[in-house]
Amino acid sequence: MAVIKLCGLSRDEDIKKANELKPDYIGFVFYDKSIRNVTREQARHLKGLLNKDIKSVGVFVDEDEAKVRELFNEGVIDVAQLHGHEDNDYIGRLQADRIPVIKAFKVTDQNSVEAAKGSKADMIMFDTGKGSGISFDWNLIKGFNKPFFLAGGLDPDNVGCAIEAVKPFGVDVSSGIETDSKKDVKKMELFVENAREVKIKMPKAVVEPDGKCANKVESSEDAVKSGDCGRNVEAIMNPGDCGNGRFGIHGGQYIPETLMNAVLELEKAYNHYKNDPEFNSELTDLFNDYAGRPSMLYYAEKMSKDLGGAKIYLKREDLNHTGSHKINNVLGQALLAKKMGKTRLIAETGAGQHGVATATAAALLGMECVVFMGEEDTKRQALNVYRMRLLGAEVVPVTTGTATLKDAVSECMREWTKRIDDTHYCLGSVMGPHPFPTIVRDFQSVISKEIKSQILEKEGRLPSAVIACVGGGSNAMGSFYNFIEDKDVRLIGCEAAGRGIDTFETAATVNTGKLGIFHGMKSYFCQDKYGQIAPVYSISAGLDYPGIGPEHAHLHDIGRAEYVPVTDVEAVEAFEYLSRTEGIIPAIESAHAVAYARKLAPTMSKDDIIVITISGRGDKDCAAIARYRGEDIHE
Amino acid sequence: MSKIAEAFKNKKAFIPFITCGDPDLETTKKIVHELEDNGADLIELGIPFSDPTAEGPVIQGANIRALSNGITTDDIFEMVKELRETVKVPMVFMTYANVVFSYGMDKFFDRCKEVGIDGVILPDVPFEEKDEFEGSALERGVDFISMIAPTSEGRIAMIAKKAKGFIYIVSSLGVTGTRDTISGDIGSMVAKIRENTDVPCAVGFGISTPEQAAKMASVSDGAIVGSAIVRVIEKYGKDAPKHVGAFVKEMKMATSA
Repeated sequence: MAVIKLCGLSRDEDIKKANELKPDYIGFVFYDKSIRNVTREQARHLKGLLNKDIKSVGVFVDEDEAKVRELFNEGVIDVAQLHGHEDNDYIGRLQADRIPVIKAFKVTDQNSVEAAKGSKADMIMFDTGKGSGISFDWNLIKGFNKPFFLAGGLDPDNVGCAIEAVKPFGVDVSSGIETDSKKDVKKMELFVENAREVKIKMPKAVVEPDGKCANKVESSEDAVKSGDCGRNVEAIMNPGDCGNGRFGIHGGQYIPETLMNAVLELEKAYNHYKNDPEFNSELTDLFNDYAGRPSMLYYAEKMSKDLGGAKIYLKREDLNHTGSHKINNVLGQALLAKKMGKTRLIAETGAGQHGVATATAAALLGMECVVFMGEEDTKRQALNVYRMRLLGAEVVPVTTGTATLKDAVSECMREWTKRIDDTHYCLGSVMGPHPFPTIVRDFQSVISKEIKSQILEKEGRLPSAVIACVGGGSNAMGSFYNFIEDKDVRLIGCEAAGRGIDTFETAATVNTGKLGIFHGMKSYFCQDKYGQIAPVYSISAGLDYPGIGPEHAHLHDIGRAEYVPVTDVEAVEAFEYLSRTEGIIPAIESAHAVAYARKLAPTMSKDDIIVITISGRGDKDCAAIARYRGEDIHE
Repeated sequence: MSKIAEAFKNKKAFIPFITCGDPDLETTKKIVHELEDNGADLIELGIPFSDPTAEGPVIQGANIRALSNGITTDDIFEMVKELRETVKVPMVFMTYANVVFSYGMDKFFDRCKEVGIDGVILPDVPFEEKDEFEGSALERGVDFISMIAPTSEGRIAMIAKKAKGFIYIVSSLGVTGTRDTISGDIGSMVAKIRENTDVPCAVGFGISTPEQAAKMASVSDGAIVGSAIVRVIEKYGKDAPKHVGAFVKEMKMATSA
């Protein structure tokens, strides 16, 4: 389903109708040459009447940036839509203040479409101009490589056909729902109804060059195939991956040319095997018989009573073989690599959990394994280093940079460019170049699949919130994925704030970082003003990473998931709390999620349910936490 | 004809690389003059990045030294502006996507144009992602240099057809750094490129001796030398300019022989 934006609303009755119809967005035009222009005061008043589920978009033409910012900060608009000569710098400055930007491009010929490709805006809008209501040649933008809004000349009669033919992310209408230059409630109703009726992948309507809809209907096959985005149109509508591995503006493949064929080959193999019954049955057997899935969903009764609010369930990924969720992804990737004819796995690791999981899978499948680990982390997690060696892997301490997780990732990428033929880079999180964020998410999504069926069985309803810790974000993405469409389920990622988000010693990317390009992806990163990656800090080696997976960045942008900072102090207290309250020692990473649940649960009612993913067990952290508490223990 | 194309006109180009600010910007300026005086046809200037994933240990070290001196992108633009008053050969930047992206794409290329930078090489921006950068660069007359690697194979035609300025042929698998042997089959890569474009192509990664430079230039349009020069700078520090000059002179002679 395409999202719907009703633009140019200016009267109380327009808002009243919108509240009934519930489009995704409505637009206020701040352009005094337009007949739909509203003043700041009018917009403030109208926004007050507007249902909170509907986002308001401010439409501007070469407006003073300060005014856009003020309207956003005041909460009058949620998104800025730009129709003038605003360049990427202008857009970037708004984005730096976290203002989502839609940039409109007039479509005249192929060149104008090319121009849109270079835009940094969060979303593109293809339009005939400033509300002139004449439709352009839709064929020009079919298969455009980013999600976009279609605008200009749409009306209740042609919107269905337009969505089928062009497959836009959204449709925007203004004059098409007016009579005598005033919004017409009947037309508004019809437009929304007709736009919603269309299901993508329906038989494709043929679009004549003038954009009018002919009544011929062809097979759906090339409608689905057309264009880069065609691969997964449904996923774009839901917040998911677009062609080229984009999640909104995030993701992509920012890697050296030397690796391009390797990631393309991986993508091809993955697309093949993910639908292969034999592969899936082998993987399921490994999950169930080797890794110990499904993991339990445990009702933490004592903790629930102690906190005195929501009912708390723990998803016990700590009980998996190797002691964390990492095994889910690793078994999938190792099996895939084996099918691709690779004989060697390389992996980065922070806390050592992913390294141990990879070494385990390599031992099981008879593959060679080399794990890169920041030298600093080899000291913090000496036990895991020994476990990897015990499993037959070589552990390479990385001494470059800050000698932590980010440097281990960099070194792995370097190693992969040296030896590609027989080697698969078994990336451990929902990050890096496409297709890794998608592959890792898919293998980890077993977590939310299980949570969903388990909670429905136990409680007969979905949880109010799912909470997980986020470094790169793989256990969180796995815990969130099957709930993304269930809009009433809050998805909460807990970032490592280290010594606090107002200090430099933090790793809370969403809370302190900005948009950038690093480690193969566009996403949020902790960095300085010149784009130098920041040396981040957290007590948890597994969350000590300056970036976050691109799908999380997108879920943040669209407001579907929340990302909250949790400090070292809070995490250590939660580590001890869960040990004493439930007899479960969580990994210090997972303790970040527990810490936030301790704050959230008491604010909720007894009818609410919180699921916390305990991503790993805490044995590995005992010595470090003892040291943190001033006790030196010898194992 | 673009300035970059001129660098290859009727000759094999010798292209040295240095990291700006290693050991400091004053020395970098002196080294650039030495490079030009000793026959460099085009100069690659590295803007340091905290996490240069395509570099081996030698250039990683240069990046760290420069950044620990507090060198910023703005300092480097100022340095190039001063250099341009006298330096005639084309200069291109080599850096990483985030350095350009965080500066602001349009602003970065505005400044390139203003100070006289002719092209930019971003090793972490492959063909699939280059539109985002190239649009802004080309509007300001700055070439976005494409790279072709030994693993490119079926991608060569696609990349070559859209290439501007010159093509950077990555000689071997792996990261930058000196090598005893160069593994890629450069001859057949060049042949495939030639079927698709007349844009000149130069070979880099692993060239450290005059013999290697001569060999690479004989099968292509030029040789790029980075780590071997950076090693000289690492060894001699502020005294490096004259040593770099002597080394480059020898390499240039071998390249054009």
